[in-house]
Amino acid sequence: MSPAPVEHPSDVRWETRLLGVIAATLTVFGIASVYSAASFDAQGGREVLKQLSAAAVGAFALLVVARIDYQRWRGWAWPLLGLTVILLAVLLVPGLGAINRKINGARRWINLPGASFQPSELARFAVVVWAAMMAAKKGDQIRQFKKGMGPVLVVTGFVSLLVLLEPNLSMATILVLLGGVVLFTAGARIGQFMLLFVFVVFLGVGAIMAKPYRFHRAKCFLGLAANCEEQTDWQLNQATKGFAAGRLTGTGFGEGQLKLHYLPEASSDFLFSTVGEEWGFLGVMFLLGMFGVTCWLGFRIAQTAPDPFGQYLATGLTASIGLTALMHMAVNMGLMPTTGLALPFMSSGRSNLMVTLLGVGVLISVGRMRGRAALR
Amino acid sequence: MAKSEARIQALQGILLLGALAMAVRAGYLQLVKGGHYAQVVARQRTEHRVLDAPRGVIYDRSGTALAASLEQYHVDVAGNQIRSPEAFIAIYRTDIGKRTELLRQALRSGEDFYANGPFTAGQVRRIRGMKGVYLRPIYRREYPSGPLARPLIGALSPDSARGTSGLERFLDSLLQGRPGEAVFIKDAAGRTYESPGRMARAPIRGYDVTLTIDKELQEIAEGGLSAVFKEFTPQRADIIFLNPRTGEVLAAASREVDDAGRPLATASFFQSSFEPGSTAKPFTAAALLSLDRVKPGDQVAPEGGHWKLPLRNGRFRPITDDHPQKVPLSLARTIQVSSNIGIVKFSTRLNPDEHFDALRSFGFGSPTGVEFPAEASGKLYRPDEWRPGEHGPSVAMGYNVEVTPIQLAAAYGAIANDGLLLAPTVIKEIRSPEGKVVYRHEPLVVRRAVSARVAEEIRGFLALSAADSGTGGQAQVKGVVLGKTGTAKLVINRRYSNEHAASFAGIFPAKDPQLVVVVRVEKPHGVYYGGFVAAPLVRRMLSQALSARKTALDRSRLADDQVVQTGARPADSGPPAPRTWVELPLRPVTPRIENRLVPDVVGFSSRAAAASLHRRGFRVRLDGLGSITRTLPEAGDSLAAGKTVTVFANRERP
Repeated sequence: MSPAPVEHPSDVRWETRLLGVIAATLTVFGIASVYSAASFDAQGGREVLKQLSAAAVGAFALLVVARIDYQRWRGWAWPLLGLTVILLAVLLVPGLGAINRKINGARRWINLPGASFQPSELARFAVVVWAAMMAAKKGDQIRQFKKGMGPVLVVTGFVSLLVLLEPNLSMATILVLLGGVVLFTAGARIGQFMLLFVFVVFLGVGAIMAKPYRFHRAKCFLGLAANCEEQTDWQLNQATKGFAAGRLTGTGFGEGQLKLHYLPEASSDFLFSTVGEEWGFLGVMFLLGMFGVTCWLGFRIAQTAPDPFGQYLATGLTASIGLTALMHMAVNMGLMPTTGLALPFMSSGRSNLMVTLLGVGVLISVGRMRGRAALR
Repeated sequence: MAKSEARIQALQGILLLGALAMAVRAGYLQLVKGGHYAQVVARQRTEHRVLDAPRGVIYDRSGTALAASLEQYHVDVAGNQIRSPEAFIAIYRTDIGKRTELLRQALRSGEDFYANGPFTAGQVRRIRGMKGVYLRPIYRREYPSGPLARPLIGALSPDSARGTSGLERFLDSLLQGRPGEAVFIKDAAGRTYESPGRMARAPIRGYDVTLTIDKELQEIAEGGLSAVFKEFTPQRADIIFLNPRTGEVLAAASREVDDAGRPLATASFFQSSFEPGSTAKPFTAAALLSLDRVKPGDQVAPEGGHWKLPLRNGRFRPITDDHPQKVPLSLARTIQVSSNIGIVKFSTRLNPDEHFDALRSFGFGSPTGVEFPAEASGKLYRPDEWRPGEHGPSVAMGYNVEVTPIQLAAAYGAIANDGLLLAPTVIKEIRSPEGKVVYRHEPLVVRRAVSARVAEEIRGFLALSAADSGTGGQAQVKGVVLGKTGTAKLVINRRYSNEHAASFAGIFPAKDPQLVVVVRVEKPHGVYYGGFVAAPLVRRMLSQALSARKTALDRSRLADDQVVQTGARPADSGPPAPRTWVELPLRPVTPRIENRLVPDVVGFSSRAAAASLHRRGFRVRLDGLGSITRTLPEAGDSLAAGKTVTVFANRERP
């Protein structure tokens, strides 16, 4: 199998254009949904303004990054990872007061005057870039555990551990998965993945057992625990109920009632439920379609990328969007235990939006370079 | 590279599977389970709230409000919706309350604030309609005329939702109105968000009721009660003013105290009966005249005030007069001086059936049907329960028979109204919230109690009785009051005690009567004769009524009253002088006796059937006991009032 021959620059670029249009569409839809979900909140207006500012910054970043040769990211991979680790470490330093204040029992945000930032969102991007760079550099060595898979896993695992300590189990899981996706694409042995899988399962179970609230949520999910309705499961139940109440066509924009404090994170962790309630099955299908096309375009770009680094980079970034979206939806529809994962492009949260748009920028950059490679 | 592409394909496949799973799950939840969950969510997140309807107003006959519902408000403030908190707090401080710390705190943190007033419409005028301000109306019963006529009006339950006594209770379903309903969206904390488009049903205010009560006469009556309590410290007193032409109750006042002198809430004018004593004598006299048992010139011996009535068993019952008479007693003289001996002697000319029928015709022993809860029916024993030769004389003197003040007033009304008994009423008019009259009182003739001629003669007797030489002389005003006093021993623990009920029943004026007044005073201290306790009170009240600004009295018709004074001439000798009124004939009353339909009472208890038939003015003959199987004439047949309807019950009389 070889990449499809590319004949003309204009043929090359329809994917990247469509990708840009979809990213813009999802972002705008997201801002509208956040507005609706937060409309009953006193701070609702501010939430939307923050989201708009992040969209502006993210769009600018996308346009800039899309025009930069993605090869440069090879050189930026280590510094980026280093920055990420430092930021993640700051979260874990006690005694910093307001800077890494606990919110809802977790330190996930670095709060600076006028802005706050979620380093784990950056990690989602940094890990992919770094892993892609490493995998491309190792080439065939990747098949050896010691030289290939091992080092990559150790670094990814370390970053993931930092995130896990925030604590943020779901993001930590995503990071490990993304590292795995890049290695898998780069040709790592399936057998080693089996081992990795077993290891991750043990790790996951261990992490779940470590915290009572996680254990309880897991039990609730499996239907093994009592008093779920009143406690932890409340969000999930409300989200699923509200989602289902949307039926075919939804209650209409702004008419949903999940946001009436039935759902504490209606505009972020449970945005998909809000959309499902207000736009119904048709809206859900639209969203699934949009994310599906995004992934299809991303993978298409990856398959036709001019070099292995571009290929791994595009695959990792695409998987980052696709996996996060899938997990967010699964949680919202009661298929997974409750975790705090944002829906890419859409959920409120500036870090998420900006990093996602940044990723799309890199993806477009890879796509744009295909033509040049073919012409070379 | 080739390997990578295959692996990307695999990844794509995995994600596609995931997407498919999501689609299936979404379809299952939204399309299969959606309907069910939509209902669950709607139940959980909406709240139906009842919007109170204002209760109807109760007016006196001239439109003065006696009881009205005042709209007041609780104030809910949504802290995060107030545009300018400082301005709002300033207004709140001047209009509603000085304590604003909590409000300030709520506004700062964007929380909700509840001010439980209730606050008046004036207080909330400026904040009404502001964004973030939600007024919850509540209704409080206010009494613009103070405590006036309160026993009649009655009371409400503490939440002002239901009438618990008096007219508030009797007319509850009319006054209540229909509560509205609004749908609120409710959040997880139970806070509601009003959306005006969601008012499911607007509240409809209750019907307004205009009473027949005349505020001024009511004030006069209640002032009379105060006076009588001050002078005689009785346990209970009632006053009723009635318009004999229409049956309208113009004033009804009661006051009662317990043994410790504390006031009791009571409506004893309708709800408690008493043995009337001499005020019932005219009805026996009416029976005698109706049946022609007393001829002009008939007289009985006065026996010097002490007489022994021979009984069947050979014993004697002593009958005494408080004012021993020396000259032979005519029937007129008997009423005038209220002679027990006279009326007992005359009453022996009636058999129990005749005597019973006469009193029954005047409404004794059956409720008048006045619009009031728990009206007492008084007591009149069936003639077959009368002990021959003993019960009759008692009844003639006003014992062994019980009436309520309203029954007595209605019976005197029949005498004033040329023999026609009218159903008394306290309701003049009922209007719907739109102002449409849904009910207006029309005089309702119950039956003809006696002929116009007999009624006129009795009025002549009453004129003598209320003349200076009669026992009721102290009630006289301008010489045009007709009336009869009563003084009866009270039955306490089934024995006649030394406590008395003093009463007076009067008609005013003599020509073309406009008022019937009944006064009952129970357990007065000091003097206890009706002529000294009740009669002067009547004089005082009538004088006040005459000088009042706008009572129901028609003064123009009082202009030639002095002429009638000739009728008040003492009639010690010979036949009575009621003929005085022949030259001033009383106009016939407006209501006519019409044929009416026999109601369908099949299946009723005999008691309920009798009540229903009585209400329509029929006499009732009962054949058997238990529930009614048929009537003769049958239901739907037309029959003149006063005719007898026989009702057949399914069980034989034991």
